[in-house]
Amino acid sequence: MKRFRSRRKFLFESCGGISGLGLALLLDRDGLLAAPPVDCAGKSSAARKPHFEPRAKSVISLFMSGGVSHVDTFDPKPALAKYAGQPLTGKGDIVVRQGNPGPLMPSPFSFRKYGQSGMDISEIFPQIASHADDLALMRSVKGQSNDHVQAHYELATGMIRMGFPSIGSWVTYGLGSENQNLPAFVVIYDAHGGPFGGPANWGSGFMPASYQGTVLRPSGMPIIDLQPPPDVTPVEQRAGLDLLMKLNEKDAEKYPGNTELTARIESYELAYRMQSCAPEAVDVTAETPATRKLYGLDDPVTEPFGRQCLMARRLVERGVRFVQLYHGGLGNQNVDTWDAHTDVKDNHSRHAAEVDRPISGLLTDLKASGLMDSTLVVWQGEFGRMPISQRGVGRDHNPGAMSIWMAGARIRGGQVIGSSDEFGYKAEEQPITIHDLHASILNLMGMDHTKLTYRFNGRDMRLTDVYGDLIPQIVRA
Amino acid sequence: MHRLNLATKLGIAAKGIGCTIIEVREPTRKSCQNRLATELRLLTTVLICAAAASAADRQISFSKDIQPVFQATCWKCHSLAVQSSGLDLSSRESALKGGEGGVVMVPGNATKSRIYRMAAGLDKPAMPLGGKLKAEDIEAIRLWIDQGAVWDGAVKPLVTEASPVPESPIPPEARNYWAFRKPVRETPPGGGNPIDAFVHKELQAKGIKPAPPASRATLVRRAYLDLIGLPPTPAQTAEFLNDRAPDAWERLIERLLASPHYGERWGRHWFDVARYADSNGFEHDFDRPNAWRYRDYVIGAFNKDTPYNQFLREQIAGDELETVTPESLVATGFLRNYAKVGYREKDNPENRYEYLDDMIATLGRGVLGLTVQCARCHDHKFDPIRQMDYYRLQASLFGYVEVDHPLTSRSEADEYEKKTAEVDARVGELRRVLRALEQPYRDRLLPAKYAKFPQNVQDAIATPEAQRTPGQVLLADQVIRGVTVSSDEIDRTMEPEDLKEKRRLSAEIAQVEKTRPKPIPVAAGITDGDYRFTPDGPGDEPAPGKGVKREAIEGSFLFRGPGRYQTPPSYLLIRGDVNSKGPQMQPGFVEAITYGNPPVELPPSSGQTSGRRRALAEWLVSPDNPLTARVMVNRIWHHHFGRGLVSTIDNFGKMGEAPSHPELLDWLAVEFMNRGWSVKTMHRLIMTSDTYKMASEYTDANAMAKDPENRLLWRYGARRLDAEIIRDSMLAVSGALNLEVGGRPVFPKIQAEVLASMQYGIWKQQKEDGPEAWRRSVYIYRKRGLPLPMLEIFDLPNQNISCGARNVSTVPTQALALMNDDFVLRQAQLFANRLQEAAPNDPSKQVDLAYQLALNRLPDALERKLALDFLAQHKLVGLAHVMFNLNEFLYVR
Repeated sequence: MKRFRSRRKFLFESCGGISGLGLALLLDRDGLLAAPPVDCAGKSSAARKPHFEPRAKSVISLFMSGGVSHVDTFDPKPALAKYAGQPLTGKGDIVVRQGNPGPLMPSPFSFRKYGQSGMDISEIFPQIASHADDLALMRSVKGQSNDHVQAHYELATGMIRMGFPSIGSWVTYGLGSENQNLPAFVVIYDAHGGPFGGPANWGSGFMPASYQGTVLRPSGMPIIDLQPPPDVTPVEQRAGLDLLMKLNEKDAEKYPGNTELTARIESYELAYRMQSCAPEAVDVTAETPATRKLYGLDDPVTEPFGRQCLMARRLVERGVRFVQLYHGGLGNQNVDTWDAHTDVKDNHSRHAAEVDRPISGLLTDLKASGLMDSTLVVWQGEFGRMPISQRGVGRDHNPGAMSIWMAGARIRGGQVIGSSDEFGYKAEEQPITIHDLHASILNLMGMDHTKLTYRFNGRDMRLTDVYGDLIPQIVRA
Repeated sequence: MHRLNLATKLGIAAKGIGCTIIEVREPTRKSCQNRLATELRLLTTVLICAAAASAADRQISFSKDIQPVFQATCWKCHSLAVQSSGLDLSSRESALKGGEGGVVMVPGNATKSRIYRMAAGLDKPAMPLGGKLKAEDIEAIRLWIDQGAVWDGAVKPLVTEASPVPESPIPPEARNYWAFRKPVRETPPGGGNPIDAFVHKELQAKGIKPAPPASRATLVRRAYLDLIGLPPTPAQTAEFLNDRAPDAWERLIERLLASPHYGERWGRHWFDVARYADSNGFEHDFDRPNAWRYRDYVIGAFNKDTPYNQFLREQIAGDELETVTPESLVATGFLRNYAKVGYREKDNPENRYEYLDDMIATLGRGVLGLTVQCARCHDHKFDPIRQMDYYRLQASLFGYVEVDHPLTSRSEADEYEKKTAEVDARVGELRRVLRALEQPYRDRLLPAKYAKFPQNVQDAIATPEAQRTPGQVLLADQVIRGVTVSSDEIDRTMEPEDLKEKRRLSAEIAQVEKTRPKPIPVAAGITDGDYRFTPDGPGDEPAPGKGVKREAIEGSFLFRGPGRYQTPPSYLLIRGDVNSKGPQMQPGFVEAITYGNPPVELPPSSGQTSGRRRALAEWLVSPDNPLTARVMVNRIWHHHFGRGLVSTIDNFGKMGEAPSHPELLDWLAVEFMNRGWSVKTMHRLIMTSDTYKMASEYTDANAMAKDPENRLLWRYGARRLDAEIIRDSMLAVSGALNLEVGGRPVFPKIQAEVLASMQYGIWKQQKEDGPEAWRRSVYIYRKRGLPLPMLEIFDLPNQNISCGARNVSTVPTQALALMNDDFVLRQAQLFANRLQEAAPNDPSKQVDLAYQLALNRLPDALERKLALDFLAQHKLVGLAHVMFNLNEFLYVR
């Protein structure tokens, strides 16, 4: 009891300071989560250390929801201009999501070479392009589904079906957080609403709920239920908590050695601390005007996503393990997401304008603050889009090929990995599956994807199922 | 070795410069979807010795050099009989067509031809799967393609039968595994309650003493929370405490088993197994407006103590029993509880295989405690379950189609269908007339619509059909098929007379619509039919371009005779690949746990279904089935003690845990069957044991040292309440609980910010929660895309996978919810109001009552003092709120 009281005092100290341990890890270390969490299949699990020296401590995942057209952004295809208006042939049945296949359509955007590497990038991302030499661009990623939701789930969990833990949950399960006052896995979605597939994108599937992503809101109270309603004063709340602690501690004496009860007592103290630490972590007004401007907070077009990006940097800085940002939310699907069925030019120029500066600002800021080397930035959508047109100027879904880039974590920048075929219809050279992508992300975090397992249903489950090959150009130091 | 290096080296090899050893790590199946029981990789070592440079000049003959290779390997899966991945290599023409992955052969360019690339291991998966070609054969393929892939000689190959899947016999010793032997009822090793005899025997063997009995006050709370999931009221507590008759405990159990709330509690356990929800899941998360009837059926079945064997029969084959009742039809919703993508299965058969897999997984884990679904792609890695067994089970289920069973009498349903058809016909006729009237106007308006499309589209449409380029044909088709003119637009251009006629027709349609009969109640269930003729439902709009019924056959959706229904053919799927059909399958079961020769079809006299599901149900509930009874008694045990005798509730296979008390498990299983599969009887048996009545507030150094996990049951294991019970308990204590039983689901308030994360599907909440939403949590709408946050945070299981044992986590967000959530604070206020009303301005009485209501006991002196000190300075609602946060409140002990 004595140890516990002093510990309690320690925990009530200020927000900053304690590092090196995640919440789950912290509780577990003291055996406080011990009452073996009965998981759905029975066996207990515990957080662990990385399998080897990690290259990245945190991940910022930038998800462009709705499906970014690779042939209009990061994968130029001159053949589309050459064969414009002709059917796409010789590729078997062309499967599109909506309607019938149209003819080949050139990109409405021009491309040019950027950086010393001479990476070809579309005119709609001029600022991201200025970081070309920091990007490792994969042009041969392929997914399994042309359905938004299934494709979102595949990127999130490796599976196109519902019910599996997201990569953020796996990372949290594997590593915990470095700051026990904040959730280890944070999600900030678009002001228009959540992405396709909703909360299952950050669910913990068959793992305990403690590994699921916590949604932080860009404005107002960042976490649901973080604060009591205004009519409960802090004094009253503290008085109630003190009474609760006394009664619970008295009760726990009847169950000596019951770590579950102790963990619950402690969870209240952590919760109490989160009330002040979480708002501080995402308070972008604490940043200098120059920084705010860097992220585009001075412009209503770039402000929303700029705010999300800036929050992400602040969270990573405070030891949050996995920050999942979504751009594009379920308002009006054709307008508010990257789902450019109607008009790829209109849709993509608008959305690119919203994210270009914020993402560029994030990369610049991470570099300047020295966080870049320990942070992995991943930019992705759920699939690419068709090289053929939909009703003249739109593009339909294409899981056969998409472009995803990574930066940070000391990955070699300025490299292009793999390629799609001459039209961008299918991945061609060095096809990369989502399992490969996940395996490589875990590797950068210091984990072997074949060893990060969770026993469920009589089987040691993995994020990568039985698949996943490391992408050599990404994981090579 | 990484792929890139590999490619480089192979490139060299292919150019004939040297000899390279290549390792290709190769998964054995394209998309195993998470089924494999273990990592399943083959380390294939391909030795490629490039042929001598001179070989480049060698002329390759298909018939001499290639055909024997194809015959021995490729054609097993890519020929006339079987076309894995849609690829048929039986002729040059079909080979050039390619498969689902696109082109595989580019004559004149081997390095761009995937046949060569996969054979050489340049692309994955390397072919043939699980094997390798000889280096000279790979080289021959390369040269042959480079030389133009000429198909000389034999134009047609011999038809290659699908590679036969070897019927691997079950080794005789496999049945010796404890769970596959039929349970044997050992004589209990002592008198008294046999459960105690078995438990004490193990404890004595280890030299551990069991805990003393719990206090009667603890027991009454334990019994209420266990059986009905609500804390006892002070009056109910007093009733038991004051009942000094020797059978007071037995009568308490009877009272609780007779309560309508018993089914709400124990039905909820079954819903975890049955992955029950009220919506489809995935993108649109469509409402399942009649799913709740299945929920009520389950609650009712537990309340009536429907024998478990009958309960299973109804859920698996309620539509093909000799006596079909409305309830048994509702019960068939069980198999339909899978999350559904929502696009037509006839266009996307791969989804249907996922649903079938989900059914097999649910029956396997939920009923048999076996991970049968692991055998989808290959024989099970740990248990003697073969891939054949999986596909026999799949064949047993394969006839299923989703239907809405009418719950009225046949004549009422017929009348309804007849009237609906009449209205449909009349309305259809009127609409045709209306459409014809509008047509000239529509034709006139359409060109202006096309003007809104980009120039290339307009040009395409303007070009006469015969002169359109192939690309223009595509463009024009896309637009012409999709563009519509609205009724209003037509109205604005209509001649007055035509407009008048249109209005008259519209009015007439409205009149006819008024005669449409009111919908009759229906159950969302299944029956046998032919899924290839499924009528469209919500979300089933044909994906254009995919609306072709590829497998169209003579027949119809539901079989109405004459003669007998025939199940559509199903096949063994090689490596689980929907496109790799093996032999056609007959229905059957998991052989290793099948005793005797049970029938695989029990067709009902109506002849309208196959009777395969009924046979499956009978096999499951047969006394010869070694698992069904064991798994269910173990579930019951788990929910009483927080841990099963087999702790891996859903897995009795080799990867599961061995039973802590094997003899007791068997004894209970046999008793369960002998006593008519009565679940209530098992409660009586278990709850009247001393083992159940032990104290949890007890420790013993010796016992802790020998059995820290309490596997041997030396004390009662305290455990946190389930999510629903936490919410229900708060409502019960605040006095707000609405105890109405059954009916449509309710929608408690969810914060707007949370709702915004999931926009599709329904959530019909009121502005403020009131009694309508304050019903028991089992009645809350289960939305797959958005579980109620308050419940989810307390480990509500994922509603898309069958789950026997919930996680129990302890995280700060639970504390935040209990501290700050609107619902909790509102209930705390109502609780405070209740205390104030019962004991106006009498803090001492209020504290006593708060303890009695929330914890079924009076406070001790210190607790009373602490509470009164608090009330001296703070509001009553603060105390009420603290009570909801006490560990004692959140635990059953």
